[in-house]
Amino acid sequence: MTAPPAGRHLPWRKWNNLLHRDLGYLAVGLTLVYAVSGIAVNHTHDWNPSFRYVRQTETFTPLVVTDRETLVTELVQALDLPGPPRESFRSAPHLVQLFYDGWSVEADVLAGTALVERPRERLVLRDLNRLHLNHLRGLWTWAADAYAGVLAFLAVSGMFVLKGKKGLSGRGKWLVGAGVLVPVVAIVWARYFGA
Amino acid sequence: MKRIVQAALALALLSLTPMASPLGSSTAWAADSSFGAGLTGTETTRISELLAKPETYVGKVVRVEGLVTDVCAKRGCWVAIASDQEFQTLRFKVKDGDMVFTPDVKGRKGVFEGVFNRYELSVEQAVEQAKHHAEEQGQAFDPSTVTGPEVWYQLDGTGAVVR
Repeated sequence: MTAPPAGRHLPWRKWNNLLHRDLGYLAVGLTLVYAVSGIAVNHTHDWNPSFRYVRQTETFTPLVVTDRETLVTELVQALDLPGPPRESFRSAPHLVQLFYDGWSVEADVLAGTALVERPRERLVLRDLNRLHLNHLRGLWTWAADAYAGVLAFLAVSGMFVLKGKKGLSGRGKWLVGAGVLVPVVAIVWARYFGA
Repeated sequence: MKRIVQAALALALLSLTPMASPLGSSTAWAADSSFGAGLTGTETTRISELLAKPETYVGKVVRVEGLVTDVCAKRGCWVAIASDQEFQTLRFKVKDGDMVFTPDVKGRKGVFEGVFNRYELSVEQAVEQAKHHAEEQGQAFDPSTVTGPEVWYQLDGTGAVVR
């Protein structure tokens, strides 16, 4: 962008375009974070966007149901587990849960089956979701608020980047109108016809 | 310009490295041990007491302590808390997003506070709930395990601290 001649102010549209461009560059990183995480957390009914579970079924010779301590000891031996668990619990006389650091075992001692469950973080995605959902709180709240302000500016300033047929007075107004209609229709639908 | 881009990429990769650690070895998880609005009450009620005389506590804010035996695998929107008596658990349920329990809370002890509520489920609702629960946990579902209408008690959570 060339500097205006001495004594002349930069026209508002030039300022608009300059800020739109540079703030746009600045927002690329966070926009991608929010976009990727947004898709991920939109589908929590179908999957956990931050963790995956590695489950493995083991079998052993069925045990006689006795007290919890005895069953835990027998299960550690039967399943060749790495020592006694940190905690244990029975949800039913024959269903024993063993809790280790970061993983657990749920055994049906009568059936002789055990489910070993190891949750794992989803690489990168979990961190994007933490940013998106503001689990960090504190300073990140300010950063996210500032980003939201920048996004609002980009949306408004973007309408005034071009003049003429390709600008807001031309086809731009129809596209802006169509875009605004999307949330309006969704809200009306949800309020009067949906859940 | 090339150096700036390279430096930015290196920084981004460096910042992501510790976050990619497997569960159980990441210290970042410890920061998530306080959930929701925190704890306000001081008196703890035993889960066995709640389940023995539920109508006494329905609609009241109660605080319980116990071992987390299960956690919602998809959204982290509930945990099951072991009672002080064997074979009993109480579900601590939160609205999606209000609190998100990470899988590492399973097997840890905590203090949970919320409103103790009663829910009546028809057979169809009970089947639907059991089916939903099985899907969430990645388990097989057998409708024959639901034999009739159910009365369901749970703690609708406001705050929790998992140690």
